[in-house]
This record gives sequence, structure tokens and C-alpha cells, in this order.
Amino acid sequence: MTTMMSIEDLHVKFATPFGSLEAVRGASLDIPAGMSVGVVGESGSGKTVLCRASMGLLSGSNVQREGKVVFDGKELTAMTRDQVRNEFGTGMAMIFQDPMTALNPVRRIGTQISESLRVRLRMDGKAARARSAELLSLVRIPDPEAMLRKFPYQLSGGMRQRVMIAIAISCNPKLLFADEPTTALDVTVQAQILQLLSDLRRDLKMSMVLVTHDLGVVANHTDFVAVMYAGEIVEQAPTIELFANMKMPYTEALLNSIPNIEMKSGARLKAIEGRLPSPVDRPTGCGFVTRCSYALQKCHDEHPPLVDAGNGHLYRCWFPLGHTIARKQ
Amino acid sequence: MRSKYTIPTWFAFGWLGFAVFLAVFGSFLPVDGYQVIHGDFIDSPPFTPGHWFGVDSNGYDIFSGIINGARLSVFIAVVSVGLGGAIGSALGITAAYYRGRYDSFVNSAFNVVLSVPNLVLALALVAVLATNVDINQPVPAWRRLVTLIVSLTVIIIPILGRIARAATLAWSGREFVVAARSMGMRDRDIIARHIIPNVLPALIAVGFLAVGVVIIAEASLSLLGVGIPDGASWGGMIARGRNDLEYNPHALYIPIIALAFTVISTNHVGDVLRGKLDGREGRL
Repeated sequence: MTTMMSIEDLHVKFATPFGSLEAVRGASLDIPAGMSVGVVGESGSGKTVLCRASMGLLSGSNVQREGKVVFDGKELTAMTRDQVRNEFGTGMAMIFQDPMTALNPVRRIGTQISESLRVRLRMDGKAARARSAELLSLVRIPDPEAMLRKFPYQLSGGMRQRVMIAIAISCNPKLLFADEPTTALDVTVQAQILQLLSDLRRDLKMSMVLVTHDLGVVANHTDFVAVMYAGEIVEQAPTIELFANMKMPYTEALLNSIPNIEMKSGARLKAIEGRLPSPVDRPTGCGFVTRCSYALQKCHDEHPPLVDAGNGHLYRCWFPLGHTIARKQ
Repeated sequence: MRSKYTIPTWFAFGWLGFAVFLAVFGSFLPVDGYQVIHGDFIDSPPFTPGHWFGVDSNGYDIFSGIINGARLSVFIAVVSVGLGGAIGSALGITAAYYRGRYDSFVNSAFNVVLSVPNLVLALALVAVLATNVDINQPVPAWRRLVTLIVSLTVIIIPILGRIARAATLAWSGREFVVAARSMGMRDRDIIARHIIPNVLPALIAVGFLAVGVVIIAEASLSLLGVGIPDGASWGGMIARGRNDLEYNPHALYIPIIALAFTVISTNHVGDVLRGKLDGREGRL
């Protein structure tokens, strides 16, 4: 199994008026070719920053990136800005969280799709237009010719996200980052969009990173999972292995917070108590310690290392689920 | 969806259209040249047959002065706002897009120019650029015209440049710019295809206000005697007319009315366009 992208010990820091904010702290992740990797975690856990930083989309004088990212045999972190840009579109592409803001409001759908075809693939206007219509039918938009002439405000959220997907896949990328592609959409459309992404990934033989906060989505649409918490990957495993053999209390808490159809009506949803630790002032021990129902003194004092449980299953916990030490409960 | 225009708005559009028409086609109209002297009608009041706006104390017909003056006033305003707007927005857009030291430099330069009052700045530039070393040698008219346009352009650059910079700052933070970058678009393509189409409406709206500023500045310079010689523009007519205000008030107030209507119209059109723009922004 070849690796499409390998991220090694990636750190991302933002300089803020309150001090340095480390949004990603030493994340390492391999994305196998042709596979789908889910990145899960609650809001603010660093999922989006991890994706954008590994692609090289974060810019600005206040951003500091350390670590190594290798994409398709090329070390992105050692390349110039122009060389990295050469990989965009044709190598890597990204679908954004909010399709309302990711399309330019004053330009027609057709020009926005064909723009990357013309610039990146050097197609002429006519070929780009034909290909745009083809892409729109690929993302299952009815009457693509009419759609080309529309403006973004004339489209529903689901349609806009389909247009975004069409733009992202327009130059046949090898790796597609889908950054919470369904968060801004209503529930009925979410399932369609996710199914569409899974089908496209299979048909076009792409690798995909699917960022979400829904373990249910991960179970259905990914081959590997990385769970992020407070800027770290706290557990990663093949999806089947993860659900069969969960190690992190945080992953369990995430799973428990999904409402179950068999729950009694009126039963309270199990939210994870407390909040994420402040990114400018991280605790010395485990980041999850204040919210973990199994935490012991050691969890407060020492930062847990990444432990290999075999089968590609890694986790970061002193007392993983199934551990023999008696827990307070 | 389309809001109905009010009567003042129609008037403003109409007057501006009329002024531009005079500027472009004024010389083809069956009107005397402004330099023709009507010796028999000196100091005639308005509504004199044949000279409906009257004649001033030099024998110049005021009606033909207004029609021919539109050419120079509108030409100067359009050229300096166009030139200043192009340079200013090029600076402002690139500064806001690339940020960093270049941005601080451009922004400080804008602030420095803005801190000098318009008229003082223009006066200084004209005084320096449109004089000969030998004071007795007259400065050719074309050179004064070019100098005047250059100094008015310098006034406009920071006004429109700051608007362009502010709008670009807002738009370049939008997600679609990141999306375009993630598809491998070059910075210059992103600026041309994504930033400019969004920034342009704001620039056009403020550009109309800037036309008003320039017309006033040009008239003020004429009044101070450093405008275009021969009083060919509306400002020049005012400058000439003020000498015998007590005998010939119409030589003064008629060009003033023309000037005031034009400035009020550009301001009003600018405001209407800006209002429409804000409404559009709200719907997005």
C-alpha cells in the first residue's frame, strides 16, 4: 500500500496578542493512496488547521509551521511557494465547510468552474465550458447547461456544495481534503453529499481526507480514522479496528454523544462535560484530563505518549479503555 | 427588487448626462465660441434676446461660456479621477492583498498625502511644476493643463486608494479567495478575477464623489489664478466674473449654478450607488 501523503510531527503556531497559540501539536498521519481517512474531533480541536497546514494553504506572517509533509513522493515543506502551488488543483484540492462563502458572489458558476480548467489545464474556452458541464453532471446536478449561467445566490446550499465539489475535482486531484463538507447543509442533503463524495472517490481513484465531528459519518465513509483533541491526534486506527477496540476515553465520549434511535424520548443527550483547554495555556498532563471520567493523578501530571497497540492502532492515554487498573467510577 | 428612483436622482443623472453631452458635443453645437466678443452687448443682463444668460463686462456670452466650459471642467475631472483612481486602486488593492511592509508603506504614504489639505497640495504642485525659471517667460497652456491634471490626480490617489485597500482587505479574507488558491490560481489571477470584480462597485460609487471633489478643486485653483488661463473652464468664468460682481452678478452666479448642480449631482449619484451597493451586500 503506497502512501499518498505523510504528515510527520506537524506543529502549527499562530502568533496572537495573547501569546503563541499552538493549534496543531506534533500531528503525524499517513494517508494511504486510494483510501479515505476521517479526521474527527469537536470544534476547535485543530482539524481544519491540520488540513490547511498540511496542504500549505495557511499564509501570513503570524503563522509558523514546523514538521515535514510529503505528498506523492515530494516534500511539500521543503518546496517554494510556486512549486507547492503547482500541486494545487492537479495534486491536492479542498472542499470547504461553508459553500455560501467559498463561491465568489459576483461571478457565474460556469466561469468559476472553467477558470481552474483554463488556468491549470490550459484548456481553451470552449473545451473548458464543455468539461464544466460534464463535471456538473458528474456531481449529479440536473440540467448542467442552465446551471453554468447561474449566480451562486440562485442556488441552494446543497447545490452550491455540489458546485464546490465539481470545482475541486475539475483537475483530477489525487488527494481531496473535504473539510466538514456537510456541516453547513441541512440533514437531508448531508447524506446525499457524503454518498456523492464516496462514489466520486471510488470512481476517480482519489485519496480523501474527510473532516467531520460525526463518528457516524466516519463509520460509513472512511477506511482509517484519526481522532483529534486539543491539537493532537489522540487515537488513530483503521475504522473497523477503532470501533471494535476503542482505546481513548475521548473517542468513547464522542461516540456516546451521538443520539441513538433507541433512546427513550425525553432522555438527555450525553454531551461531553466541560470545555476544550485554552490553546494558549495547555495543561501539563493529558489535555482531556479535566473532562475524562477515568482520570487519575498520573493523567494530571504527565503527558501521555503515543502507544502502539498493533494493527496500526495508536493512542495517547495512560489508562486506555479495557485497562486492568481499577478506575474510579 | 429594483428600487424606484426619486426625482432628485433622475435630476442628478440627467444633469450629469447633459454635462457630459456638452463636454463631448459642445463644439458641434450652433453656439459661438467662448472667445467671440459681443461689443454691442457688454454687460447685458440675462434674458436679452440672443444672449439668454447675458454677457459679461468683457463682452463674452455666458451661455456659450457655460457650454464650452463644460468641456474643460468635465475633461479635467474625468481624466484626473480616472488616472488617480487607476493608480490609487492598483496601489490599494496590491497593498491590501500582499500586506506586510509594502502595505504599511503604501498606507502611510496615503495618510501623508491625505493630511495635506487638497487645495494647498494642488497649489504647491502647480506653483512648482507650472512655472518657468525665467518668470517673464509665459508658461504654455498645455503645460498648465498637464500640471493641473497631475496635481488633481495626486489628490485623488489616496482618496480612492484607501477605499480600494479597505474593500480588498474585506474581500481577500473571504473563503473563495482561499478556495481559488487551493486550486492553484496565481495571485495576479486571483486579484484580477476575484478581488477586482468585488471591489469595483465601491470604487465607482466613491469615484463619483471624487469627481465632485476635483471639480471644486479645479474651480478653486482657477479662482486663485493658477488654473487654466483664458477662463475657459467654469472655474475660470467665476474667477473672471468676481471682478465686477456689483455690476454684473449674472457673470458670477450662472457658472456657479452650473458648477453647484454638477457637484451636487455627482455626490447624489455617488450616494445612490453606495446605497444600492450596501443593499446588495446585505442580500448576499
